[in-house]
Amino acid sequence: MSLLPLDRSRLRFLAVATAVCLAGCGGSQVIVESTFPKPLVEALPVSMGVVIPDELYNFIYTEDIPDQSLWTIALGDANVAMLAPLFEGMFRQTTDIDSLAVAATDSSLDGVIEPKLEKFEFDVPQGERDKFVEVWLQYQITVYEPSGATIIEWPVSGYGKSELARDAEDAVQRAAIVAMREAGATIATKFSEQPQIKEWLGGIGHDAAPVTVGPQAAAGGNPSAESATAPLE
Amino acid sequence: MERLRLIGIAAALPLIGACGVTARLEPYKQTNAVISAGEHVVVLARKQHSTHEAEEDFVQCISDGLADGKHGLQVHSSKDFEDKMYPWFEPSTAPLSTEDLTVLLARPGVAEQVRETGVRYVVWVDGSTDRVASGGGITCAAGVGGAGCMGLAWWEDDSRYDLTVWDVKDSENEGTIYADYKGRSVMPAIVIPIPLITRPQNHACKGLTDQLRQFLTTPEGYSSPATQAAG
Repeated sequence: MSLLPLDRSRLRFLAVATAVCLAGCGGSQVIVESTFPKPLVEALPVSMGVVIPDELYNFIYTEDIPDQSLWTIALGDANVAMLAPLFEGMFRQTTDIDSLAVAATDSSLDGVIEPKLEKFEFDVPQGERDKFVEVWLQYQITVYEPSGATIIEWPVSGYGKSELARDAEDAVQRAAIVAMREAGATIATKFSEQPQIKEWLGGIGHDAAPVTVGPQAAAGGNPSAESATAPLE
Repeated sequence: MERLRLIGIAAALPLIGACGVTARLEPYKQTNAVISAGEHVVVLARKQHSTHEAEEDFVQCISDGLADGKHGLQVHSSKDFEDKMYPWFEPSTAPLSTEDLTVLLARPGVAEQVRETGVRYVVWVDGSTDRVASGGGITCAAGVGGAGCMGLAWWEDDSRYDLTVWDVKDSENEGTIYADYKGRSVMPAIVIPIPLITRPQNHACKGLTDQLRQFLTTPEGYSSPATQAAG
């Protein structure tokens, strides 16, 4: 059997067809990168160990959206970039530790805080009417006694939206940054309002003054999920 | 030939006339305060609405416009201000009223940080530019003899914004400026599409910037300008 000769026009056609296929198969990749500021809050007079789990460092979200493409969103570096200055501003002293077990041997620590990114959702508009890309995420903030006893497991959500002006990947990145800043704002402003945290602070002899916030932010009562808005439908 | 030229002009004139921007500006100033030398103004977008938000480019356009020129004001970077004041000017924590602002400024460190930025006036921008109508259509075809388009497409954009000016030093609402700019764009296609595009958002930026500069530098109150056609 002889193969068809590959003349110039057929080669050109094959090259274009291959490029189109590869572009379609590549999907959309977003690496969320930003610098995040230190919060302007009164630091609690405690020394906290900070455990950043590997899953947080390496957080990558993937979703195959029908009629769109495979989305891959990497948040690991941005998580650390947001949480590190946040905790530095919230507590008098922070120490990075590898695990909760290390805290038991460090008598200088008053407690340990461990954040995890539990949920992530996003939505890219399809039609012309809806022009915002939305991101919703939820962290789980767990605070432990140095002995390992759990003080609080506190879900904190953040919501962000960004206009789909240029390309979708850029808009997803900007919306994710807004959502992370929102979650950080909730953590910074409502942490000391949580009843379990108030009790813990009182128990270690460091009563924190109640943090009063504006009417927009509801006062923290039970450690129910603190959020700017509900998850995306 | 002369007849064809006249027909062409007669056909083009209504199309060009259909484009244009109508503008409505309503400033309202409650006090006689003006910005002094050394005082900064910062322009921020209101972000608490779920359905709309002032575009980042538009906010930047107003900031740049205020800072430009011989009589440019000292404008603080919006992002820089939000970072320095974090977490108090995020979508869910930003003060919605001057009463909220008073409570915020009473928090430890906040008033000092605001003083350090040099910002005296915060300008909140609320609103957006939306496509409110569109119609028509253009068909293009290509064949052995050539290619071309035929048809007429049009669309109308409405830029509606509300600016609120706060004096952070006295926690007072200085006043508001409301703007509504509507523009219709037309694209006739006679072999090739001829875009006749109006940009009401650009006009809104320029109009609001001029009004805002006057607002911040003029102690007297305003009388509402008449509805005007521009462009």
